[in-house]
Amino acid sequence: MWNWATHPVSWLSFLGMLIGTVVILLLTLVVVMYSIYWQRKFIGWIQLRIGPNRVGPFGLLQTAADVFKLLIKEDIIPNKVDRVLFMIAPIIAFVPSFMALSVIPFSRTHVFTANIAVGALFYLALSAITIHGVMIGGWASNNKYALIGSMRSAAQMLSFEIPLGMSIVGVVLMAGSINLNDIIAGQQHSVWYIIPQVLGCIVFLIASTGELNRTPFDLPEAESELVAGYHTEYSGFRFAFFMLTEYVYLFAMAGLFATLFLGGWSGPWLPGWLWFAIKALIYITFQFWVQATMPRMRVDKVMPFAWKVLLPLALFNLVITAVLKAVL
Amino acid sequence: MFGFMKGLGVTLRQLPKKKVTLMYPEQKPVWPERFRGVHRFIPDLCIVCNQCARVCPTDCISLSGTRGPDKKMRIDTYDINFDICILCSLCTDVCPTESILMSDTFELATYSRDNLYLDMHWLYENELAYERNHPERFVKDAEGNVESEKAGDAE
Amino acid sequence: MSLSDGKTQLRTEEMILNVGPQHPSTHGVFRLVVKLDGETVVEAEPVIGYLHRGTEKIAEDLQYTQIIPYTDRLDYLAAMLNNYALCHTVEEAMEMEIPEHAEYLRVIIMEMQRIASHMLFIGAYLLDLGAMSPFLYVFISRERIVELFNEISGARLTYNFMRIGGLRFDAPNGWLQKVRDLVPQLRADLKLCQDLITGNEIFLNRVRGLGVYTTEQALAYGMSGINLRSTGFKWDLRKTKPYSIYDKFDFEIPVGQNGDCFDRYYLHMQEMEQSVRIIEQALDDIPDGPFIGKVPKFVRVPAGEYYTGIEGAKGELGFYIVSDGKDKPYRMKIRKPSFVNLQMLPELLKGQNMANVIAILGAIDIVLGEVDA
Repeated sequence: MWNWATHPVSWLSFLGMLIGTVVILLLTLVVVMYSIYWQRKFIGWIQLRIGPNRVGPFGLLQTAADVFKLLIKEDIIPNKVDRVLFMIAPIIAFVPSFMALSVIPFSRTHVFTANIAVGALFYLALSAITIHGVMIGGWASNNKYALIGSMRSAAQMLSFEIPLGMSIVGVVLMAGSINLNDIIAGQQHSVWYIIPQVLGCIVFLIASTGELNRTPFDLPEAESELVAGYHTEYSGFRFAFFMLTEYVYLFAMAGLFATLFLGGWSGPWLPGWLWFAIKALIYITFQFWVQATMPRMRVDKVMPFAWKVLLPLALFNLVITAVLKAVL
Repeated sequence: MFGFMKGLGVTLRQLPKKKVTLMYPEQKPVWPERFRGVHRFIPDLCIVCNQCARVCPTDCISLSGTRGPDKKMRIDTYDINFDICILCSLCTDVCPTESILMSDTFELATYSRDNLYLDMHWLYENELAYERNHPERFVKDAEGNVESEKAGDAE
Repeated sequence: MSLSDGKTQLRTEEMILNVGPQHPSTHGVFRLVVKLDGETVVEAEPVIGYLHRGTEKIAEDLQYTQIIPYTDRLDYLAAMLNNYALCHTVEEAMEMEIPEHAEYLRVIIMEMQRIASHMLFIGAYLLDLGAMSPFLYVFISRERIVELFNEISGARLTYNFMRIGGLRFDAPNGWLQKVRDLVPQLRADLKLCQDLITGNEIFLNRVRGLGVYTTEQALAYGMSGINLRSTGFKWDLRKTKPYSIYDKFDFEIPVGQNGDCFDRYYLHMQEMEQSVRIIEQALDDIPDGPFIGKVPKFVRVPAGEYYTGIEGAKGELGFYIVSDGKDKPYRMKIRKPSFVNLQMLPELLKGQNMANVIAILGAIDIVLGEVDA
């Protein structure tokens, strides 16, 4: 039932897949819920505030209440929007984000992880699909702010995808495989790749921030300029889906970062899933920390930054890695 | 890169500091003695001189009085429209007998504008509440009557 | 813009975008109609008046003392300075003597108010640029000043504290000591802002060389305050036309070099440091005495026309009073620095992109209560 990766598909293994998906979905929802909670709490503390503290003990159920509120809201579809596109856009945005999770190895035993030979590539390919949802949403909204936001988003995600991919290639060279499980295995035998790949790691951190549309690259939804960017017209659960997409990607990116540079679930003493959780949390917290500190980049300086700084850096890192790999 | 790191350091240093949030509905702010909240009114002291109504920049005070048997004016109605009152405290400045004063009541939110027309009785209740809440601000004279505000505020 | 390869032409269109009046970073109800080509501004037209209350007309029907609470609501972030500007004009017109003690107290309060107003500029500007934390940090520092104002005047925003001839109250017991204790705290708060913001490369990248204008342009538009000084023109009414007792204090007038948004930001920072210096000196020298001078029961400005400007938080804040000898002004005109400084906006915005629109608008430091009055 659990070995669908190596055996032909049967009804039983299909059931296994279904159960696996539901489990991962629930896990993801909980993770998203509490990353939002942690974001609000952590940034609150930095800003000398308390953060959410009303719903449940220590406000632990605050996000649940927020989501519940969004779900019971009226599903508003404005009159002048492109109805069909407006309705499917959040779905197009969300589905790939969730699918990308399928290659992230959460723990030592890959129960719910597809052991795909091209894992890293698969992730990048899927994350590029989300941008269509964002663009369609922005276009269909028939709102000028949404349009500008979605166009910015498209331009930005395209630009950052390339340095992101290039920074991953360095790791792939070290491990000799694109399979994320093999990459972890490679790190188990030697050191975590954050040490030999420190430049690649920095590029990955910056590019992934841009890819996730988080501060200082949160131009697509820059609320002080574009009100809310591409989801200006969305409300209720469609809006919730856009938010969910964003945070699922945060989780997925945290998993990818942990896998590529911090050795994934590998580590002494503690169980694998706990190591994974700790490493993912480090990345997520770092994102929130930067969010609490940084102003936004200027839109006309983001693209040159991606193309003229990050990409050469990533390529440089790649060349060095290749040379070292050949020499050593 | 240096300034970027410095900024991150600054924000991280704030983490353990004491939080400044006041848990408002449970925990009320402590207002200083001069705080200008909603008015309080002592009808017995009023001599119906009409100065407060005249000085009011928004014309929110309306009052009427009659001459009593002892030839002294007595206040009959005293209404303040808190819809337009800006709590500038000019009325308390000009009041010769200090019958209209500011209290530290500040929560006036209500569902209807009509509820913001407050009359003499409400304002006197507010005075009594103020006396209850701040007994230390009233000095008592020999007979034990509440005489006036503690020195410092009065001009 | 049109994409063309000689034959096929892709049709593009300019887009009109209404920024505001309900927009997160227009600092109130300000509307900006921008014509966009892609994300580049072709034309911008500010639409103001959403907060117009007719202060000048109302004032014609009010005694001078009654106007004071209305001035609170002009630049509501610097109400004490507005109070002072009106009182000062009337005092000048009536050639009134102000007791030393009152003047010193006024200066202390005004400089505190200037710091509070500049602090809020820093926070709001950084919020416009997408940084959240500075806004909350400056609110904490501003809160310290506001709390002291609350103690001395009884209000936290609309103080209505200055009176013609002096002040409404004397400082309560221990208040001056509290201000003295506040000074090092303010310095620490300023340092925090400096560390957090001034060196940040992203911030510098964003505001350096943005919204540049020359001294000539600024003078032609009648700009004043930091907007003028950022171009390197040394013009601060506290020094150039000293009023009150500012000639007794030792302080600098910081000026910028480039006239860009960064200079405007940085001048706010430096000016706060100078204000702290003034407060320190005033606290050392403050004499005892009455807090209000001899004022006639009815303030009657002799017939004539009077104008006095002071250095407000945003620029030259002036009251022009035409009096026919009664206790009410015949006509009152307020020179509102925010309003005047805003006039250059359409010219500055031309050719900029949407993100810079907000950065330039924020750096001008407008308060809509004052622009619309």
